[in-house]
Amino acid sequence: MAKTYDYLLKLLLIGDSGVGKTSILFRFSEDAFNISFISTIGIDFKIRTIDLDGKKVKLQIWDTAGQERFRTITTAYYRGSMGIMLVYDVTNEKSFENIKNWIRNIEENASADVEKMILGNKCDLDSKRQVSKERGEQLAIEYQIKFVETSAKDSLNVEYAFFTLARDIKAKMEKKQEASNPTPRSGAHQLRANEQQRKPTSWLSRCNLL
Amino acid sequence: MSEIENKDTVTEEIQKDFVEDGKNKLIVKCKFCGSKILEKKTAKYVTQEKELPLMQQDANRKEGEVQKEMIIEYYHVDHMYVFENIGFTHPVENHKYLICADCDAGPIGYFDLDSKHSYVALSRIVHS
Ligand SMILES: Nc1nc2c(ncn2[C@@H]2O[C@H](COP(=O)(O)OP(=O)(O)O)[C@@H](O)[C@H]2O)c(=O)[nH]1
Ligand SMILES: [Mg+2]
Ligand SMILES: [Zn+2]
Repeated sequence: MAKTYDYLLKLLLIGDSGVGKTSILFRFSEDAFNISFISTIGIDFKIRTIDLDGKKVKLQIWDTAGQERFRTITTAYYRGSMGIMLVYDVTNEKSFENIKNWIRNIEENASADVEKMILGNKCDLDSKRQVSKERGEQLAIEYQIKFVETSAKDSLNVEYAFFTLARDIKAKMEKKQEASNPTPRSGAHQLRANEQQRKPTSWLSRCNLL
Repeated sequence: MSEIENKDTVTEEIQKDFVEDGKNKLIVKCKFCGSKILEKKTAKYVTQEKELPLMQQDANRKEGEVQKEMIIEYYHVDHMYVFENIGFTHPVENHKYLICADCDAGPIGYFDLDSKHSYVALSRIVHS
């Protein structure tokens, strides 16, 4: 069967236990239908199709199955990933300090050119905040990584974050391709374009920063 | 488990409206939020007897019990990247259950860990 996308990007969510990684992947729905069943099983990954500058991009987004609690995230988990969301909780100082440890873990275990982004999650909990937005920004500047504060609870900036990370990975891939091969469309990563309609998904249209 | 011959009139009706050349004639969407799950003509219509857990489990059921129903009609998706938007649960026996990527409603079908094929229940989606 012909490929129905231009790019396939594997993304991971990394960070301390409790910062909201699963909530970012698992929509914070108050709807009761699956609380009892799906949420007890847990989500492995999601596939999202987005339109990025006229290209059909499939995102495969993985959550950890709680391995972060035991700090056992190793090479196997990172294998094949092109982008990593580093998540901390703005109401938890320790989770912010640990971002540096996670970056070190990524450097030791993931591919060297993996694209990264830092998310300061739970920004809806302003009264409990321990980490200011400025400190988040400062850390991001230090590591030259993009940063945004999110709320999985309010679906704030979550879509924007994935869109931004995906766009940066795509740009990097295109740059690499041009360097290795002057004719586009023949690179290893670029797959046959699908000429069908490319409307943004409902997931994207919910994004409030686009 | 094999794909069974189908002689039911209800399924014939469905085939007429939603199936063309053995595939989904229309876009497949989530019943609850309208999230696009499959593009037109990307999945094969099959019939098989396969139980799926109910989307809405009775709150008063026995602890650990999973309520199921028999479902006959499915769309067979031979590769996971054919999906537009979909979620996969952690494995349960030799399955991962499929859920809506936007509202997490599910199971809308299952992924078979042995064959790597996915099956979406027609009764748990809408066509558009
Ligand atoms: N207020 C608020 N709570 C959140 C947010 N994200 C996650 N939580 C809560 O934080 C707890 C841990 O979230 P979870 O997704 O399991 O974290 P994980 O261990 O990183 O996967 C849960 O009780 C969530 O309901 C958020 O953006 N705002
Ligand atoms: Mg989790
Ligand atoms: Zn849905």
